[in-house]
Amino acid sequence: MEGSRESDLEKEEDDDATELLRDRFRHSAISLAESEAKRNGMEISQPVMVCIADLAFKFTEQLAKDLELFSQHAGRKSANMEDVILFAHRNEHLAASLRSFCNELKGKEPQTERKRKKDSRKDDKATSNVLDLS
Amino acid sequence: MENTFDPELIRAIFKLVWSRRALERERNEGTENLDGEVGAGTSKKSRPTTANANALKLSSELLRLFITEAVQRTATIAEAEGVYKIETTHLERILPQLLLDF
Repeated sequence: MEGSRESDLEKEEDDDATELLRDRFRHSAISLAESEAKRNGMEISQPVMVCIADLAFKFTEQLAKDLELFSQHAGRKSANMEDVILFAHRNEHLAASLRSFCNELKGKEPQTERKRKKDSRKDDKATSNVLDLS
Repeated sequence: MENTFDPELIRAIFKLVWSRRALERERNEGTENLDGEVGAGTSKKSRPTTANANALKLSSELLRLFITEAVQRTATIAEAEGVYKIETTHLERILPQLLLDF
């Protein structure tokens, strides 16, 4: 919990918006954890949920950092799905399930808009490149 | 299964982190201009990083997986101990491997 102390200090420099975001994030993280525990037929104690929520928030911050670096390295100003998959490339199973989710998203898209179709095709190629690497 | 993070919330958090980092970089540039990260530094003023909609959805999914995985692993430990409430000791048991896996 020392870590959260430190980040509490950091947070004071930021505005209230940070606080609000963090609380909203915690709230959805906790309700997610609770429902997942229920699905497993388990109760879950409050400190565990809070801890997992905090971890997830730090994880998000790390993800944001990496997405920025990855997209800049690729010479893009916008992070795309490929960058997110790259973030998870160390864990093959995780990367694989993200990739299938990514394909699902792409599958939905072309029917709704034509312009996006071209974009998603680009994404397609890029993603398969990532696949080859891992 | 419909329970997941709002991509807009994730976008807001990303933006926050990116603007914080941009500020930091600006501060660093003031003191030492010959930084190794000049490449990243030059592009930042004109074009802040953004994320496209699908990337945000995928990030939400990644976070959902992180949390469900954490809960499922703690649940397994609790089950092995024969209790039906997940406590901090269970989390402590699975934490190292969880952090290595994500």
